[in-house]
Amino acid sequence: MLRKLLRYEIKATSRTFLPMYALLIVFALINKFFMAVNSSYLKIPQAIAMSVFVFIIIGICVMTLVVTIQRFNKNLLTDEGYLSFTLPVRVHSHIDSKMIVTLMWSVLSVLVSLISIFVMSVNETTILSFQRFMNELMAAFSQIGPSGYVLILEAVLLVIFGILSSTVEIYAAITVGNMSSKHKLLTGIGAYLGFGVIQQIIVSIILSSSDKSITRYFNLLETAGEFAQVQAAETVLLVLIAYMVIVGVALYFFTEWMLRKKLNLE
Amino acid sequence: MENILECQNLVKFYPKCLALNSVNLTVPKGKIVGLLGPNGSGKSTLIKLANDLIQPTSGKILIAGMEPGIETKKIVSYLPERTYLNDWMTVNDMIGFFGDFYQDFNKSKAYDMLARLGVNPSLRLKTMSKGTKEKVQLILVMSREAQLYLLDEPIGGVDPAARDYILDTIIGNYNPEATVIISTHLIADVEKILDEVIFINQGNIVLVSTVDDIRENENKSVDALFREVFKC
Repeated sequence: MLRKLLRYEIKATSRTFLPMYALLIVFALINKFFMAVNSSYLKIPQAIAMSVFVFIIIGICVMTLVVTIQRFNKNLLTDEGYLSFTLPVRVHSHIDSKMIVTLMWSVLSVLVSLISIFVMSVNETTILSFQRFMNELMAAFSQIGPSGYVLILEAVLLVIFGILSSTVEIYAAITVGNMSSKHKLLTGIGAYLGFGVIQQIIVSIILSSSDKSITRYFNLLETAGEFAQVQAAETVLLVLIAYMVIVGVALYFFTEWMLRKKLNLE
Repeated sequence: MENILECQNLVKFYPKCLALNSVNLTVPKGKIVGLLGPNGSGKSTLIKLANDLIQPTSGKILIAGMEPGIETKKIVSYLPERTYLNDWMTVNDMIGFFGDFYQDFNKSKAYDMLARLGVNPSLRLKTMSKGTKEKVQLILVMSREAQLYLLDEPIGGVDPAARDYILDTIIGNYNPEATVIISTHLIADVEKILDEVIFINQGNIVLVSTVDDIRENENKSVDALFREVFKC
């Protein structure tokens, strides 16, 4: 059933994203054309095309967030919820499908933006400097050794779990907001801020209870060798990943429980 | 298991109001039942409980002996009072959607009914009037070969001509093993198709009877009896 939900979720969201992606590529090409011509008569249209390009990228970022909120709210907590929640599907499959699709569009949005920038700016000089940059990067990696790849893997995981965990945080806030009969939006925003405050309190309790040993550890690192520093970076990333996973899992089960037990559609 | 729906001391409290007050009720298989009561009497609450959309405060509700969940959703076809269709989809898309998620969905039945009611299946739901949307929704719900149909105000928004057709499809189209529960206050319209009635008021079941018994014993129509019982 998850696969079917995913298919409909992608269908429902792609009508927003795909036209934006197409528009972005078109404007990348227009900008590329202006750059190639580089005529002084075309300075104003060139500037306009460039700012439109930037606005589309910003628009895609905003849209990813808006669609995340809107799909969850509309499809589950408004009238459409009457259909969604009477499908023979488990509640967690609804959350899973929406979360996975949000992750997919977030990653795709970044990729499409990068590709469009690349398409726009590709020429001999940029290729050369890109090659140089890659060479330097590879050199740095060979110096650090295999832990360089561990760092990259950890960074990728951090981004993925970061996106998933903040998505679930939004879902949890929307769900709590929906329990209020009068001020859904306000309660939702309040819940979102509340989750942030709770996390901050927990983190600061953990940090202060560690009795400055964390600060001392980092102070020591400043004078430590490169190997120890890389290892420290690995540990820090790992802690951040673990943090994202813990927060995400807690809010995931909270949201699932609320939807299952406390749902009250209007 | 003879009863398709069973309530045991079913209680539902909303904040500041008691919607269902210890309801005990059994509905057998193969009947068309009218769930009748004034506004706010608990009809929708009972139907929502049966659909797992809300949880009982205490007591039990059983569908074919099971508590509401995935297994019951496979055999219950529910028409809410809201239009729940995804408005960016076409009717064709919705039919595909129902076919994907409900194994008992009969596509050809749906297309037949759409043709009879003159609804163009390639139209987007966004462009349709409220009444047409309600027709589409009812067609989707009735095209399932379910064991229990829960219809919440199924004819409220459609014109009288379509109303007759819809009632005809309800009696003509469903399998004799299935039960249809219709919640409405348009009693005169549905009376002719009902086997049994349940009167509900302020969360209490007031009367459970067959329509024939009402006609014989009370010598009046269900509509007249309703007006008498719920006289304001």
